[in-house]
Amino acid sequence: MKTEHKSDILLECRHIVKSYNGPIVLDDVDFSVKRGEVHSLVGENGAGKSTLIKIITGATDRNSGDIVFNGQALPLQYSRKFAESLGIAVIYQELSLIPGMTVAQNIFLSREPLYPRTRIINKKKMNVMAQELIDRYNFPLKPNDLIDNISIAQRQLVEILKALSGNASLMIMDEPTSSLTRTEVEMLFKIIHTLKSEGISVLYISHRMEEVYALSDRVTVLRDGKLVSVLEKEQISPAEIIRLMIGHRLEENAVHHHLPKIEGRKPVLEVEGLTSVGKFADISFTLHEGEVLGIGGLVGSGRTELVRALYGIDPYDKGSIRYLGKPWVPSVHASIRSGIGFIPEERRIQGILATQTITRNIGVTNLDRLAPRGVVKSRQEKQLAMDGIRLVNVKPPDPEHLVGNLSGGNQQKVVLAKWLVRNLKLIFIDEPTVGIDIGAKEEIYGHIRALAEQGVSVILVSSDLPELTRLSDRVLILRKGRIIKEFKECVLTSEKILRAASGILEEDDEA
Amino acid sequence: MKRKPLMNEVRLGLVLLVLMAALTIISPRFLTLSNLSNVIWSVCFIGILASGAIYPRITGGIDLSLGSLAALSGILVDMFMNRYGINWIIAIALTVVIGAVIGLFNGFIVAKIKVPAFVVTMAAKTYLYGVALVVSNGAMLAILKPKPFIAIGTGRLFNLPNPIYIMLVMVVLSQFLLKKTAFGRKVMAVGANEVAAKLSGIDPDSIRLLSYMLSGAATAVGGVVLASLTQQVFAAAASGVELEVMTALVIGGTSPVGGKGSVVGALLGAVMVAFIINGLNLMNVPAPYHPIVTGSVIILALLMNEGYLVPKKRNVLSGHRQAAA
Repeated sequence: MKTEHKSDILLECRHIVKSYNGPIVLDDVDFSVKRGEVHSLVGENGAGKSTLIKIITGATDRNSGDIVFNGQALPLQYSRKFAESLGIAVIYQELSLIPGMTVAQNIFLSREPLYPRTRIINKKKMNVMAQELIDRYNFPLKPNDLIDNISIAQRQLVEILKALSGNASLMIMDEPTSSLTRTEVEMLFKIIHTLKSEGISVLYISHRMEEVYALSDRVTVLRDGKLVSVLEKEQISPAEIIRLMIGHRLEENAVHHHLPKIEGRKPVLEVEGLTSVGKFADISFTLHEGEVLGIGGLVGSGRTELVRALYGIDPYDKGSIRYLGKPWVPSVHASIRSGIGFIPEERRIQGILATQTITRNIGVTNLDRLAPRGVVKSRQEKQLAMDGIRLVNVKPPDPEHLVGNLSGGNQQKVVLAKWLVRNLKLIFIDEPTVGIDIGAKEEIYGHIRALAEQGVSVILVSSDLPELTRLSDRVLILRKGRIIKEFKECVLTSEKILRAASGILEEDDEA
Repeated sequence: MKRKPLMNEVRLGLVLLVLMAALTIISPRFLTLSNLSNVIWSVCFIGILASGAIYPRITGGIDLSLGSLAALSGILVDMFMNRYGINWIIAIALTVVIGAVIGLFNGFIVAKIKVPAFVVTMAAKTYLYGVALVVSNGAMLAILKPKPFIAIGTGRLFNLPNPIYIMLVMVVLSQFLLKKTAFGRKVMAVGANEVAAKLSGIDPDSIRLLSYMLSGAATAVGGVVLASLTQQVFAAAASGVELEVMTALVIGGTSPVGGKGSVVGALLGAVMVAFIINGLNLMNVPAPYHPIVTGSVIILALLMNEGYLVPKKRNVLSGHRQAAA
């Protein structure tokens, strides 16, 4: 009911439950945002942050629980448009702006000022209104700039103005700094303070602890779909947040991983001073035979860029690589011919041929063997597909099944299979188990360990911390494109990885 | 859902048989040699063109320059033989090479400069028509010699017109290249998912380049056969044929977004369209109604290929990524 006086709580979520056909992703979560506060929402991948945001913005519905926004109870299911009309705005990176239009046109999209009694846009007035907004916040923008011609940071500012002109009272920023430079981040922080002083609430989501620490009035920590804690300003510290995010999982299960000694094995890949400007810098390491080298770090720390360069997809600017003891200049073609494999992140976008059969998907990486003189040996191709299916246990085990119709786990198994049927010496694996059910996950872990036991070297990039600690023999932590920590021959925990990735380095890490 | 490799072609073949049976019942004139030979010519021409044009289509592009290039090829081969006195075999070879080079040029702009194929080949259609006008002085030229050249289109072997054999050879070669060779696999992979193809060591640019080159070469062959059969060449000789070829491809199961297709299917598609139009003629349906029927058939075929008329089949193209929580 709207009779109550204006409380200082803007958004109140109580007992939110959400499950996607089975697994519960949000379990009885309470969450609230006060007027004019910066509230951070933190948790590991899969903790339920994105789902909670989606529910609040109307992108998805909830199974049960109440949401009250600005004194108004919201129905179980509502549209994004409805949420927007209430004053809930999301600042997307660049997605929601129309590239060919100007700053002013984007700010007032579908809310353009019109000439009286017509449907004709008053362009002059629109530009004046845009300029007023820009002046009020002192943003480095011009109403007539094309979105095409401005930086990502400026686009974010346009998003913010768009939200402000729509009278937003809650602004949700999901990883807003992941593609910003340091000075741009500082500018964004200033803007967040301005918004706060105007009574606008900011819901801030970031993996970067120092940002959460610097900005937040309160922090809500989620873990495995449950509310863990709400920290008040004076309780917030990066180390404490990390402790809460990880919880006692490792201590309880006692799965501290002792990374074994890897000395004395033959080096497979020797990387020296590898640099790609703006992506990673001065990367040096040696990968040994049969070793699983984990690469940890936050999203945007340069992990994916590094393995892409090592496989030969993207060029690098400086440094040298030796493969099997010889100087090596990677290219995708040469890598494949020389026993190097690559499993990309985002299998649907980068890994599979959805409209084609399992046979074709496995065949396409093995054309050098299947068609040495240009003509594909069909029987051999089928045999290879059957071998692959058997190796990784694809369901259904039908080589003519379209890969796009398989479950995520089975799709990933097919991507794995096309490399397993080759004679590999080295494989790069990027986020192998995102969006995959537990059973398939375990199977894929088994295959990765089995590869290492057969003497294949593995470089594993993962945001899934237990995955990294469990599979790796050694872990490098990247931060802002540089290796800032190496874990070897020690007890490794998720907490240690996350602390290092967040830049909290301590003397006693070498326990 | 289980999918046998030949299912698409078999399904088309069955539909075709039903169509033939129906036409035979409706008109006793349908299944006569004189009637069928009317139908056959357009099928041969479209089949030859489709055997090349399918490649750009499968990579996710399109070649709309077919009509202009086919007509230009006829004009060129006539010019080489009858103006410059070049031996007819060499003249044909030269013409096919020129067709391939023009295709390569289209492919270069599509692959390297990343201009949408639709725009590039539409421009090519326009300027090639202009070149054809210039070379032919805008006239319709009759080709009366040399004899062996005229025999290509008009001669018969085992009582069947020669173009049938040429078309069958082209279709079989093209189908073999598409389905049985590494190149064909790469074309399919690029059309299905360019990024994944790249990570599997395929260079999508060179695959595109070669696809448009094949399209250009096959179109030149088609133009030469057309010139020989009709014994006349002019710039508008094959105008609009690209749409007929695209129709055959769509009906034959070639995906409008790439990654999937069959030359044999396209041939069956061409036969089907030719039969339908022939049937309409036999039933004395006035010509203005024909395009309405053909257009409807395209829509029906598209719906069928995308699985809308088949009960319960997931459309793998529209499935979107499940966002992680």
